[in-house]
Amino acid sequence: MENRITLVRNYGRMLRETRTPSYDYLIKQLPISTVFVDKKFKIIHASDKWITDFDFAKRAVLGKSLFELFEDISKSWKKDLNAVLKGKARLTGIENFYDTQKNEKWFEWVNVPWYDEKENIIGVIIQTKDISDTIFDDIKLEKLEILLRDKSEISKIGSWEYDAVQDKLSWCKITKRIHELPEDFEPDIESSINFYKEGYNRNTIAMAVDRAMTKGIAWNETLQLITAKGKEISVLAAGKPVFKNEKFLGLIGTFKDITDEVLNKARTEEQERIFSSIFNSSYQFTGILDTEGTFLEVNDTALQFSDLKQEDIINKKFWDAYWWPIPDMVKEGLKQVVAAAAQGEFMRSEIVVLDKNKQPIPVDFSLKPIYNEDDKVVSLLAEGRMIKEMVEARQKLKISERKFRSLYELSPIAYILSDFDTGEILDFNSSFETATAYSKEDMANLKFADIIPDSSKHKLINFLEEVDSKGTYGPFEHMFTKKNGTTYPVLISGSLVGNKKGRKLLWSTAQDISEVKKKEKQIREEKKLLKTLIDNLPLNVYIKDLESRKILVNKSELIYCGLKEESEVIGKSDNDFYDEKSALISREEDLDVINSLNPILGKETISVKKDGSLTKFLTSKIPLIGPDGKANGLIGISMDISDLKQQEQELRDLINVTSIQNKQLINFAHIVSHNLRSHTANFSMLLEFLVEEKDANEQENIVRMLTEASDNLLETLDNLNEVVAISTNVNLDKKPVNLNEKIAAAEQNLAAYLKKNNAKIINNIPDDTSINVIPAYIDSILMNFITNAVKYKDDSRDPVIKLTVSKNEKYTIFSIEDNGLGIDLNKYGEKLFGMYKTFHDNSDARGIGLYITKNQIEAMNGKIMACSEVGKGTTFNIYFNDKN
Amino acid sequence: MTKIKSIAIIDDDPITVFGIKRMLSTLNVSENINSYVNGKEAIDDFKSIIKNNEEIPEVIFLDINMPIMDGWQFLEEFITLPIAHKIRINILTSSIDPADRENWQYYMTRTHHIIDYKNKPIQKKEIEEITKAA
Repeated sequence: MENRITLVRNYGRMLRETRTPSYDYLIKQLPISTVFVDKKFKIIHASDKWITDFDFAKRAVLGKSLFELFEDISKSWKKDLNAVLKGKARLTGIENFYDTQKNEKWFEWVNVPWYDEKENIIGVIIQTKDISDTIFDDIKLEKLEILLRDKSEISKIGSWEYDAVQDKLSWCKITKRIHELPEDFEPDIESSINFYKEGYNRNTIAMAVDRAMTKGIAWNETLQLITAKGKEISVLAAGKPVFKNEKFLGLIGTFKDITDEVLNKARTEEQERIFSSIFNSSYQFTGILDTEGTFLEVNDTALQFSDLKQEDIINKKFWDAYWWPIPDMVKEGLKQVVAAAAQGEFMRSEIVVLDKNKQPIPVDFSLKPIYNEDDKVVSLLAEGRMIKEMVEARQKLKISERKFRSLYELSPIAYILSDFDTGEILDFNSSFETATAYSKEDMANLKFADIIPDSSKHKLINFLEEVDSKGTYGPFEHMFTKKNGTTYPVLISGSLVGNKKGRKLLWSTAQDISEVKKKEKQIREEKKLLKTLIDNLPLNVYIKDLESRKILVNKSELIYCGLKEESEVIGKSDNDFYDEKSALISREEDLDVINSLNPILGKETISVKKDGSLTKFLTSKIPLIGPDGKANGLIGISMDISDLKQQEQELRDLINVTSIQNKQLINFAHIVSHNLRSHTANFSMLLEFLVEEKDANEQENIVRMLTEASDNLLETLDNLNEVVAISTNVNLDKKPVNLNEKIAAAEQNLAAYLKKNNAKIINNIPDDTSINVIPAYIDSILMNFITNAVKYKDDSRDPVIKLTVSKNEKYTIFSIEDNGLGIDLNKYGEKLFGMYKTFHDNSDARGIGLYITKNQIEAMNGKIMACSEVGKGTTFNIYFNDKN
Repeated sequence: MTKIKSIAIIDDDPITVFGIKRMLSTLNVSENINSYVNGKEAIDDFKSIIKNNEEIPEVIFLDINMPIMDGWQFLEEFITLPIAHKIRINILTSSIDPADRENWQYYMTRTHHIIDYKNKPIQKKEIEEITKAA
């Protein structure tokens, strides 16, 4: 249409520019029917097409008025033409008229002003198109629409049409109603496609429409769409394109809501499916027979069971089927059964059928008549339920019942069934009979209360209440009375069972625990015995857990821990009793035993308690090995060997003393032997000389020497006697003596000697100083030291002897200090107290004094020490043992 | 038999000294016999002999049990003296203490001098054997 108008406008311009009659033929040949009219609507030019279209071939049209040619032209057209003359740029319209054959003609027109070269409107250029065919199609459509509209009101079929010329889509009321849209809704192609459900539905419709427009293919689809109110519906959408002379004019179609049909169809399909699946997958065999016993239907279960196919069964007689074990025998029976069912009887029995492996299978079989609306039997429903499991279960039940019976009768536990409300005893087993001596004959008059001793009847009330509230009681220990009135202990329990008549029954079990009780007592006694035993062991016994906590201790251990009650020790560990170090060592021992499972046996240990007291133990730790092979604790056994160790130490000391003494003795023996030998050697030598000697003077000299040797020997023997006396007089009793009294006596005895040497004694000893000594020895000792102090005086000064005393724990220490020559102790220290050891040039030094003194002091369990400095003096410290 | 220049007897027992001297005189081995009553006297004298560049006795008779300085103490000092030639030392004791014999063994290993050990009483014959210059 636009193109045409453009073309017309161009013609107008062209003609404006070249307005010569010679162009007339050009206009004549225009392919579009065109006519030029002047202001008075007289035709100036006309194309041949226009003349043909309007059937003016036989009439001269040039110079004639339009209104003359089209008598019945509408007034509206005239008005339009006038409007164009007045300058309206372009006007279009459709008009109809009847041609000479009285055919109705429709044309579409476009009017544009006809300008001269001065832009003055000199007329109108009219361009027309014959649209009669289109118009007739339109009318046809309209008619169809009306037709559809009528029909649609009944069948709910909506209609629609699309005018491609006007690009206009119109829906009928029903279509709008199906879309749940108001009646004034104006659809277009795009929006109507969008109502379809996204995905398959929308794609399908879009493609269908496209195919219709481009290829002219109609469609008819069942699709889902979502209404304006959001409801999902199924529609049957049909459409077809309308063409005129191969020109696409538009689409027409129908639209039907088939939601209900779709749903109904789905429902029916579902029901069929369900029925079929039930029928076929049912665990039971199902078949439908006619009243004559012919198979109409059989389900898959039945077919699979016997490995048959539909055709093996359908239309065959029921009694001819494969699965009957002895066909001839059952045939007649089955015929009768079918006949009875056909008469309306419901038949049911347990029978045996063969499976595909010819194995007999028990089946619960039934044949049920099916009636029609007129109460007439039309078919029979044959059903078979496999009851193999049921039969087996029944068998099992029978066995277990037998088992229960034998258990009940043979059980060592007594079972009593009684009426809970009345207390009547209804049943009991043989175990009860054995235990109580009651027999079944006694049962009639026996009540539950009768088997409970009077003394514990009050307990009966308690347990009856328990039964009432919980339905069960026990287990607890109780007493039962035998027929002869004696009682025995039982462990009873029970539970309430109701029977079918609503009677409350009480099942009670009673286990004779006399033996158990006896054993318990025995164990208690054994335990007591064991406890007494371990409590009275002179050993510390304890059991520790894995954390070294004590879980059992005996009395000795309890006393050692310083506690009175076992409960005070339980759960405590060594940390609670020992000092840190002892506890740590003990814990390490425990861990070693627990981890290695090797016991510690007889190990000497020293335990220091928190108060610092020290105990020596001979300890054994033995792992307690559990059933899993791992230690779950340990047994400890400790023997206090403190006293033993003390004695051992004393013994060792004694051995030391004796070995020292032994050494001294050997030494003494050597000295004695030496001294005796030296004298005898001299004798032998001198005697030899004497025998050989001729000279009288010399002989006399030798004899003199022999005499001298003899004297020396005697003196030696005296000295030895003195020493031996000390060593042998070990039994001389020690007694306390006042030291100063003894010093005074010695001073008295030596008065002349002291005076002669100008010696002075300074005695700083308190008068009350008492020492525990053998009196004779202290005299000798004092004499010896005082004499020595003077004997070995320094000639440059007068001898001064200082006497002092001090005490320590064990000894009274008596010190004698002189200002004499002193002794080089580095040189002579070892020999100071040796026999015949002399250190000075004094001719009267015999080397025996200090030796004897030392022996005497040691005989009194004392000791002596010396310190000295040459040229200054010597101090002897004598340790007198205060104790023994 | 060459005579020994000098002999020393160290013993606190005058009878023993007498006896040895007598036996030596009958053997006539030396004109020069000196005696000391303990080790200290002897060692002091020996030191002065060395100081005066005189001759140390070639043979020494040594007692063990002596006051002030016994035989072992003497030996201890003697082996330190600068005496190049060997001296014969005869220990002469009445001790039968094994400790003394052990001491002898010990000193033998510590010196180049010859040390002999004899129990009293000593026989003239033994004196003759052991009175030879080393």
